[in-house]
Amino acid sequence: MNRREALSRVALLMGGTLSAPTLMAFGEGAAMPPTAGAAFSFTPAQQALVAEVAEHIIPRTSTPGAKDAGVGPFIELMLKDCYKAQEQQNFLDGLADLDAKATKAHGKKFMETTSAEQVEILKQVEKETTELMKNANVQQVKVGDNVDKEVVDSKKLKGTPFWRLAKELTLFGYFTSEQGATKALDYVPIPGRYDGCIPLKKGQKAYAL
Amino acid sequence: MYLNIDAQKEMTYDAIVVGSGISGGWAAKELTEKGLRVLCLERGRDVKHVEGYETAMKAPWELAHRGRPDNQSAEEYWAGIRTGYTVNEEHRYLFENDSKNPYLETRPFDWIRAYHTGGRSLLWGRQSYRWNEEDFMANAKEGISIDWPIRYKDLAPWYDYVERFAGISGSKDGLDVLPDGQFQPAMELNCLEKHVKSEVMRKMGRTLTIGRVAHLTKPQSIHTALGRAACQYRNMCMRGCPFGAYFSTQAATLPAAMKTKRLTLANNKIVSEVLYDEKKGRATGVRTIDQNTLEVKDYYAKIIFLNASAIPSASILMNSKSSRFPNGLGNESDQLGRNIMDHHLGVGASGTYDGFEDQYYFGRRANGVYIPRYRNWGKDKRDYVRGFGYQGGASRSSWGRGVGMEGFGAAFKEEMTEVGGWNMGIGGFGEVLPNENNRFTLHPTKKDKWGMPLVVFDAGYGENERKMRIDMKNDAAEMLEAAGFKNINAYDNTKSNLGIGIHEMGTARMGKDPKTSVLNAHNQVHACKNIFMTDGAAMTSASCVNPSLTYMALTARAAAFAVDELKKKNL
Ligand SMILES: Cc1cc2nc3c(=O)[nH]c(=O)nc-3n(C[C@H](O)[C@H](O)[C@H](O)COP(=O)(O)OP(=O)(O)OC[C@H]3O[C@@H](n4cnc5c(N)ncnc54)[C@H](O)[C@@H]3O)c2cc1C
Ligand code: SF4
Repeated sequence: MNRREALSRVALLMGGTLSAPTLMAFGEGAAMPPTAGAAFSFTPAQQALVAEVAEHIIPRTSTPGAKDAGVGPFIELMLKDCYKAQEQQNFLDGLADLDAKATKAHGKKFMETTSAEQVEILKQVEKETTELMKNANVQQVKVGDNVDKEVVDSKKLKGTPFWRLAKELTLFGYFTSEQGATKALDYVPIPGRYDGCIPLKKGQKAYAL
Repeated sequence: MYLNIDAQKEMTYDAIVVGSGISGGWAAKELTEKGLRVLCLERGRDVKHVEGYETAMKAPWELAHRGRPDNQSAEEYWAGIRTGYTVNEEHRYLFENDSKNPYLETRPFDWIRAYHTGGRSLLWGRQSYRWNEEDFMANAKEGISIDWPIRYKDLAPWYDYVERFAGISGSKDGLDVLPDGQFQPAMELNCLEKHVKSEVMRKMGRTLTIGRVAHLTKPQSIHTALGRAACQYRNMCMRGCPFGAYFSTQAATLPAAMKTKRLTLANNKIVSEVLYDEKKGRATGVRTIDQNTLEVKDYYAKIIFLNASAIPSASILMNSKSSRFPNGLGNESDQLGRNIMDHHLGVGASGTYDGFEDQYYFGRRANGVYIPRYRNWGKDKRDYVRGFGYQGGASRSSWGRGVGMEGFGAAFKEEMTEVGGWNMGIGGFGEVLPNENNRFTLHPTKKDKWGMPLVVFDAGYGENERKMRIDMKNDAAEMLEAAGFKNINAYDNTKSNLGIGIHEMGTARMGKDPKTSVLNAHNQVHACKNIFMTDGAAMTSASCVNPSLTYMALTARAAAFAVDELKKKNL
């Protein structure tokens, strides 16, 4: 979804190509009714949980982390405004699953476990998601100049899985936030010139969008 | 009928220009500069240069959804969403809401519109190429459709003229297939693009060049006099350019026309029909509907330039019925609304490249590379006619790559802030053949909220386009392979519809014979010489290069002719 979708043909004309697949497309029949304006919100507990998961993906280091960048509230807003009911449900189910996994392994809710235990749980979720997507024959396809989509077998996978959504929205939310774009990346609002070929300086960060 | 003579006088101009987009802006500039009092009627709101560019200076985090379309917009902009980018938050305000401006599809057509001052001149990709000599002769040589009434040499001086004023940057490549023009200094290729350029030339004899774009790289006094400055390489052009660095109506033609003090721009005026005087045998003016108040008002002029873009311009003539023209003004050939063409795209390849790890670039170049047509050119012969060119570019990946990767945490974050590997994509832009059965009509009963009949599209790709796509896909992969790319992903998105190229044209084609065409060699309606059409409607065939530069040249040429004819009292 990031700029890849934003730019598509425009990116092509302008020489901007991006690599990773960032969108999921589902076969016919799996389309959920759009939920424009539908009520969707997190409970305070879910809000804290989402912020925590995002911080695990992009933690505060020498630069700000996901919490500093307000990624939690951003994820909630995006799910509410830009996603379909299936994805919203997948996300809520994913959060519940984190608590279920934590309870099973440690007898407490996710938020009450240690940071190391949380990482283990998330690793497990990532592994399961990879399996899930493999089984659904996820294939990266081009649907336009520079728009990639992942096509999946919709009978085997209902909507984008939780972990994938969490990761995509965290990266997107973080690197396009003021904190992420200006502190973790090289943000140049008005470059003023174009140099096509320059040596990559040591420690040079990627440009923000 | 009661006629208020004074009021009518007030509504009378030397010329009326319908639409203020790329072609309308040129018509307004040329006609006013040649001394005419011109009324430009624009159906949409006024978007003022700089102050009207609502999102131009916004940082990514200042947009609620960081640019992404929300569900509600995706529903309202039901045609726009098909492009995958025009409904995004940063520039959606300059595109048309399809629910408020519906159209019908017998066969699906992606109709991407922008109704406001400047039209799509604020939104276009600015790729600007001349047609070549063959483009004007292909129809006649191959016996397809009808012959153009003009040749390259008729347009060449006008290309020179519009290129200088618009400011087209590019490199002179000395190719017959892509004639050189009056260029501003070219933008630079990056190091991977330079590598690909030399490899595809060495191994395949094909040219790769920097895109020729309507961006000022070294403004001249004709540009700075209008307040235009050099490109700042922000690549946020679709939001409107506060520097006036790319060619748009707002930055270039409108200020030039305004300088003459002979231009009146009237916004929110939807032109519904051209008024035809049967006794005089000529058009006398146009009827308008105010888009907000629905007030109907007529305006009068000696000549009328229709520049509402291909579909609306033809619609206006179709809707102009009289006993002389029961099927629409100038439609005796029954060609009005037919031969819709576009450029087909959504087919090409991308890949990754190992190497040049220590090379980067600075600035966001609002331009890519161009690989001119080589198929069915010279000795090359295929099982289809015409050809295609590629547009694309190379860059290093960024955090976007992380979505599909495994891992999270501090090390993962660190990696995402670093510069990723190189990749490149090239996508074909293919020529679509004219076909009488690709057309639109006006619905007999269904109307929009202004009482205008709805446009019904019935057009699609043909066999020639389908055959061409095989080469478009394979050749792209081959070239990347030849240049040493890995993980090559060739694609052909067959789900896109005609229209997706946003280069619609051909609905009132030019030709020598009034029996088979709507316009003559000077873009006059054959049967009503004081109406000129110089937007995409006029095109007799489509070439494979982006069309708007040709609309500019046709417009400037027709305007000069019109003023001459007026002086000679021929109109
Ligand atoms: C995203 C995008 C990328 C593009 N990239 C390129 C490119 O790289 N190169 C290229 O050559 N072309 C490109 N194009 C196409 C280019 O924008 C069009 O070819 C060009 O704008 C057409 O000019 P026009 O004057 O015919 O119409 P427009 O620029 O569309 O202007 C038409 C004007 O007429 C007005 N109008 C419509 N109906 C009426 C009416 N009934 N009464 C009064 N006014 C009316 C509209 O409001 C509008 O202002 C691109 C377009 C888009 C959207
Ligand atoms: S890249 Fe150049 S033309 Fe585009 S908005 Fe920036 S300054 Fe203007």
